[in-house]
Amino acid sequence: MTSPASLATTAALQAALAAEHAAVYGYGVVGANLTGSRQAAAMTDWVAHQVARDTLEAMLRSRGAEPVAAAVAYRLPVTVRTPGQAASLAVFLEDRVATAYLGLVALSDISIRQFGALQVRAAALRAAAWRGSTVAFPGLTASALAAPRHRS
Amino acid sequence: MAASPTRRVALAAVVALPLAAASGCGGINVLAAPPRPAPDVALLRSAIAAEQLLIARYLNVLRDAGNPGGATSAARREDAADLTAALEPMLAEHRAHLAQLRSRLVVPADASPSPSERAPTAPAAPADPGAAAAYLRAAEQAAAAAMLDRLPHAPASLAQLLASISASEATHVPVLDAVILDTGRAAR
Repeated sequence: MTSPASLATTAALQAALAAEHAAVYGYGVVGANLTGSRQAAAMTDWVAHQVARDTLEAMLRSRGAEPVAAAVAYRLPVTVRTPGQAASLAVFLEDRVATAYLGLVALSDISIRQFGALQVRAAALRAAAWRGSTVAFPGLTASALAAPRHRS
Repeated sequence: MAASPTRRVALAAVVALPLAAASGCGGINVLAAPPRPAPDVALLRSAIAAEQLLIARYLNVLRDAGNPGGATSAARREDAADLTAALEPMLAEHRAHLAQLRSRLVVPADASPSPSERAPTAPAAPADPGAAAAYLRAAEQAAAAAMLDRLPHAPASLAQLLASISASEATHVPVLDAVILDTGRAAR
């Protein structure tokens, strides 16, 4: 029995998993371009994404779905050769992950919604640490924020 | 007291499934016109009131930091200046939260403002910069948690906004932790 809600849940979990796969890959590049305490911070975040990836895979399997696999390689949005570029990549990865988890927050299943919200928070905290500043709407795109106001 | 039951209030429809980039103006969250304020309107009003209270707290602290008084030490004045510099960006984010929440609440022009739409008054902030930062830290933490508590009752797009705001507020906590640490160091 696959209701539309169930399909939406599986699709959102798969999207979050795909973002976590990309983050696990990307943090390898981040860490390789850092040293000392910054590299240690990258390692901590890398592990956090691996744990989240495993959690999402288990959630999908418990729903009878086959988790999406990681890509062999990912095209990075920026060239990473310096510590500053590594931090920028980490911010990019976290923003993507936060957006993906907001997809879970839109679901009707309350426990998955709460799980998604806690993961948005975790990603926002990591992004703020790499960015060195905070933002008003972690994970929300400009189009989502501009959407209201078109009542005819 | 409570909002008039006859007031017609509707939530603006929002297309907010960021991952489905081309989800378009779909039929999922289309605008409905409830005959009386729907539960999500009450939810939105409580979120608006919470943001207003946070902003009032920030303004209290900033007002006191801007007037540390003539007899204060140079170190204390420096702490107050550091506090102001740290708080301004976070206050701006709360104002953005408030504007975004308000944009989702559509009230006809003839409606009188409900009590929750008037700015609440925050309790007085501590005068000491470190204590003031701790006062805001506690407020941010409570606000972030309360925002998450609203999630189960919110429609999908509003839930996403509330979760994002909650995450933003959670990121203010480590910033305030750093301020508390710095003011403690300067005091020695």
